[in-house]
Amino acid sequence: MGTQLSDIPQGILQAELGAGRVSINLDAEVYPLQALYGASYIFIDRCYVFIDRPDDKVFRVTLSAKDAAPEAEALRALVGEFANELLSCAWRHQITQDNRTIIETVTMQAIAGAMGEPSLDDLASFDFSDEAFDDPLGIAQSWEDKHGKKVQKQDEPEASNEGAAS
Amino acid sequence: MLAQLKPSTSFQAFFRYRQVADKILITNFEGNFLLLTQEEFKRYAEGDVEEESELYKRLDAKNFVRKTYRVADAVARMQARKHFLHAGPNLHVMVVTLRCNETCIYCHASRANMDAVHTDMTPEIAEKSVDIALSTTNPFVTIEFQGGEPLVNFEVVKHIIEYAREKNKSLGKNLEFTMVSNLSLMTEEKLQYLLENRVQICTSIDGPEKLHNAQRKLATMDAFQKAVFWIKRINQAYEEMGLDTTLYHCEALMTTTKATLPLWKEIVDTYVNLGCKALFLRPVDPFGFADRTRLKIEYPRSAYLEFYRNAVNYMIELNRQGVEVLERFAGIFLTKILQGQDPNFLDLRSPAGAGVGQLAYSFDGKVFTCDEGRMLYAMGEDTFHLGHVDTHTYRELVGHETVRAMVLASNLDSQPDCVNCAYNPYCGTISATNHKAQGSIFGRMRENNVCAVHKGIQDFLFEKIATADQELLDIFEKWTTIRAREHFVQDSEPANAAS
Amino acid sequence: MSAQTLRFDKQVYAGEALDEAVKAFSNFAAFELKQEDDAWVVELISKSPQMADRLRNEFCNYALGLTIQRGGAS
Repeated sequence: MGTQLSDIPQGILQAELGAGRVSINLDAEVYPLQALYGASYIFIDRCYVFIDRPDDKVFRVTLSAKDAAPEAEALRALVGEFANELLSCAWRHQITQDNRTIIETVTMQAIAGAMGEPSLDDLASFDFSDEAFDDPLGIAQSWEDKHGKKVQKQDEPEASNEGAAS
Repeated sequence: MLAQLKPSTSFQAFFRYRQVADKILITNFEGNFLLLTQEEFKRYAEGDVEEESELYKRLDAKNFVRKTYRVADAVARMQARKHFLHAGPNLHVMVVTLRCNETCIYCHASRANMDAVHTDMTPEIAEKSVDIALSTTNPFVTIEFQGGEPLVNFEVVKHIIEYAREKNKSLGKNLEFTMVSNLSLMTEEKLQYLLENRVQICTSIDGPEKLHNAQRKLATMDAFQKAVFWIKRINQAYEEMGLDTTLYHCEALMTTTKATLPLWKEIVDTYVNLGCKALFLRPVDPFGFADRTRLKIEYPRSAYLEFYRNAVNYMIELNRQGVEVLERFAGIFLTKILQGQDPNFLDLRSPAGAGVGQLAYSFDGKVFTCDEGRMLYAMGEDTFHLGHVDTHTYRELVGHETVRAMVLASNLDSQPDCVNCAYNPYCGTISATNHKAQGSIFGRMRENNVCAVHKGIQDFLFEKIATADQELLDIFEKWTTIRAREHFVQDSEPANAAS
Repeated sequence: MSAQTLRFDKQVYAGEALDEAVKAFSNFAAFELKQEDDAWVVELISKSPQMADRLRNEFCNYALGLTIQRGGAS
């Protein structure tokens, strides 16, 4: 059963205090996925983060406490900080698009200036081969290639596991 | 007033603005500034400025008018401000040991007890660290001995100096050495060696005796007395060597804790009485101490800014009376604001210097983007670890993806809030601090302690500049003067030390 | 054994990231993988019922982290 956290409008947020879990609905036009990724990544060491899309125009982010269910205030602080980070990431996403040229130029000059020209030893250790890269986990394969036919084999979980890992 | 403005879409060149006291500060892309009255700002924003007017001439002279915007001037100013971009790290922090004989309340992760001999850097690690340091593309190289207490592993300090000097004979870098020491293990013999080898010496003075000894504990409870003894002895030696003592003296740093805040006058007086010409009123870093300690030593940044204003106002009054003393934060900002130059203080530039302006070498050969990154590693956070002197080349270290990420993250033109901040041309952000305090190398400036400090100090300085008090402006001008300390640049022959 | 069905939106999560997460967690759970038009569907069968919730949360975090490290779903 959902609970309201103070100061946060109903409809945007649903809290389950007993489970230490809170879900936030985000307008996908305001918060691009890249910004959501940015904020989520910063929070995965503090809490569990899950993202889904109840419809095309909404991302739903669910934050769950890692330890025992927190007090309402702690949960509210977690949501508030996540929202601040998300806003910051969304704006940064826009800024990096707007200022892309100057940011890339400065970064290139800073790194290239620091690294300097490669020495002969550096050149000797460069990998100029164009062979396919090693992919022991098969992560470069598409999901369809690996699992397309296995949809039918729901009664063979171990085999599916092997397939997933191959 | 802003809500009533009807901005012109064609008159102004790009500018940012901020209210400072009763004036409006405007700054442009290349860092020129003007302080306008509210009425002048309204006219500027709305494009209601006659070309013959005095205001137009002021705006035009500082490149704030779109019609006459001089791109070549802007480029030249930007090149001067970003001169550091084309060269690699010049600061190489070498942690020759973690052992330290002092116990400081704000330092736990950076030190080990005196019996932890396994935290001493070996000569082999030292040589490999120097090899990497001297591989930098920067023609200027400063090797800074840190700890722990570097005097504890003095043999390796000497080895680094001699090895680097020898290796530099064929490289011709502008090489300097600096030692950061509590001085309590200094001896006359060690001092003579450091003087002969032109090693700049820097120590810590947290304030008056009682405060210093409470924060920096020696078993004998006389950390202050020992530091003061050697500061005086070092300054005496410089004088005996015929060096200009206004330029050459033992430098001292302080760390501002909660206990420091009410003692702003006593702290300034302590430094002045020791013959120090500069104070660096550094707030405490969020590194190296336990959370329970934080409650004892941390404080709201508003309290720090009040402390800062009180201390610097007092220093200005002393300057009016002929006493030569400056505050380093102010000196750095004023150099950028008034001179259009960047003194290359690594935490106050855009992008910041981590990885591209400095590298930190731990006692065990691990290399970090910065000393803060090394301290975070000691606290269990390995984000800023770049590699090891045994296994990584210089180019691999400075070209590391973490360095690239930090350059991007500390570029104020990619940072929310900073992109619109009038202080953008003069400011900087610190990725390691952001990471520790806010969970990412970007940080969030509106809630960021370092940002609050930087904005507060610049507000204070611009309020002072806005008074147009010529005597004060002359004092500020003096604080921006960067005088090279040529004596500390290594050449092939040792200096003649005074004994 | 405790089974839970998780749906990962294809526009948010990378299939390769889920594969790698399954591999990493295979000592703690058995996995059944399916796909729908818009989602990767993972049935997670925890070997320890007491750890089922934590395992699900850790698995989701891990998959999201890997997705982001890869630069996103596409």
